[in-house]
Amino acid sequence: MSDLSLLVQMGFGALLALSVYLPLRCGQLSLATPGFYVIGGYVAALLSTRWPALSGDGAGYPLTSLALELVVAAPVAAAVALVLGRPVLQLRGIYLAIATIALVEILRVLNLNLAWSGGAVGIFGIPQPFAGPGGYALATWVLLALVCWLCARLEAMRLGRAMAAIRDDELAARCMGIPSADVKLTAFVISAVIAALTGVLAAHFLNTWNARQGGFDASITTLAFVVFGGSRIWLGPVLGGLVITALPELLRPVGDLRLILFGLVILLGPILFPQGLITPERLARLQQTLRRP
Amino acid sequence: MWPRCRCSQTAAAAVSCCFPEPGVVHLLQILINGLASGAVYALFALGYTLVFSVLGVINFAHGAIFTIGGYLTYLLIGGAVGANGLLASWQLPVSLPFWLALALAGAGSALVGLGVEAVAFRPLRQRNAEPLLYLISSLGAGVVLVNLVQLLMGAESYSIPASTLAALPSALAQGGAQIRTVQVLLLLVATLLVALLTLWLEGSRGGKALQAVAEDPVTARLLGIDSGAMIRLAFALSGFLAGVAGGLVGLSVSIAGPYFGIGYGLKGLGVLVLGGLGSVPGAVLGGLIMGLAEALVPAELSGYKDGVAFAILFLVLLLRPQGLLGKPVASRV
Repeated sequence: MSDLSLLVQMGFGALLALSVYLPLRCGQLSLATPGFYVIGGYVAALLSTRWPALSGDGAGYPLTSLALELVVAAPVAAAVALVLGRPVLQLRGIYLAIATIALVEILRVLNLNLAWSGGAVGIFGIPQPFAGPGGYALATWVLLALVCWLCARLEAMRLGRAMAAIRDDELAARCMGIPSADVKLTAFVISAVIAALTGVLAAHFLNTWNARQGGFDASITTLAFVVFGGSRIWLGPVLGGLVITALPELLRPVGDLRLILFGLVILLGPILFPQGLITPERLARLQQTLRRP
Repeated sequence: MWPRCRCSQTAAAAVSCCFPEPGVVHLLQILINGLASGAVYALFALGYTLVFSVLGVINFAHGAIFTIGGYLTYLLIGGAVGANGLLASWQLPVSLPFWLALALAGAGSALVGLGVEAVAFRPLRQRNAEPLLYLISSLGAGVVLVNLVQLLMGAESYSIPASTLAALPSALAQGGAQIRTVQVLLLLVATLLVALLTLWLEGSRGGKALQAVAEDPVTARLLGIDSGAMIRLAFALSGFLAGVAGGLVGLSVSIAGPYFGIGYGLKGLGVLVLGGLGSVPGAVLGGLIMGLAEALVPAELSGYKDGVAFAILFLVLLLRPQGLLGKPVASRV
């Protein structure tokens, strides 16, 4: 794998981590991110392979069509998240986590069996809007920068503060007049849109899309990004996503032990760094040290 | 996951057995298949529920321990390792009868359960960590175990040959419906273990102590119960049940590679929630219902079979989150 391809995948990792992070920011452990990632990927795969008008005049897949796919995928994911979010978000803690695992698995079984998703084989020959991984890296990191900016803005906005309040104590937050159900649903919808946009880019990047793209493994890996990096400030999941996606590549020299070491990282992360690598306190201390000449 | 029918007779007999006439015989067959696979689900979910009842968290390494139980059983009856993995073509010098192999594999899995508790749970428990962290650390333990198995024994699937039960006939025919000996065995072993566990939980000091820890760990400790020991006991029992379930599935279907247990673990979550988190009779009832529901999926739609558990799981969570036999979820203020 070229270095640029790894950069693209690291960007995907960071984006998915932010998608898990947003519901967690208001205390909701949702593992639905891979489901929306898969939905985004199918939107891209179906539009680009079944709708000839999008393919342009032959010289590569037009960027405007890619933009159109992104514009379509976002509301599709948002609509699904809105419909499912209301009932699902009434569940708490481990029940919410299990319900979202179930959603992802149901989606996987449907995609494996339905005809329009290409069944077990999936969809092949998704056209390439970029000539090489460089273009993908640029697109992914631009999207990542946008989402990071949104998350950073959120921390200072009314919505972000409401999310933090719900995470600390939902009952108290509601007593203060925060509409907790609406805030949680908003976070869930934004999370779904981020995952779906990532899915659109990933489908083109991988050139093929199938039901195996999202599943329980993906739920866990994305959750590990957040737990590893830290779930109290947006920089944590970004770092977790970048590092853990790169980890299997970095571990390639150890060969067969690679996945065992990967498991050890997930096992020991919560024990050694219960708050994740990056916490607001550590960040503040780092800033102080840097400011001092 | 479960083949609808596995017939080892001549082709003609197999056709009549795999596609019985519609009607009573067919329903009877579904019932038998469903109960037999449900019995294993029940065993599996019992292990989940024991740990959940004492700690209030789910052990996501449970599926990996189930896999290890299957592999251990296979090795103990004298099965040889395939061509891949570090232990290629290696084979234990003994060839134990199935019963003994199953019991020993259960004991080995209990030890693995204790190991998972010591590494992934105890450090967090001593710090009173939030439940989310247990989920991640136990999953990490599961990933390590599964990949360790893959490293040692390769990714191929193993099955325990039916000749292991050579002394018994392969099937009992009953009015056209086929009862495989393995299915009877699954039901017998599961019933026996559930009965023993219930007797022990309800009738012995140790069982009562375990229930006391599940009810309220602080009060239990005030009453002189060593809650740490009870938690270790729950993990050992849970590992034993998972290991036995793994061995039984290895005999009745096959152990489809190291990752097999993870998928089983997810379905087990469905059973667990359906019956009610932390409820022992609920796990048994949930397992049987899940087995029957999967057996009812017609052959034309068999691709959707794996989705049944999750569809049930999702509906139960929305309609009755406490499960069939669970206590209502109390919200603490």
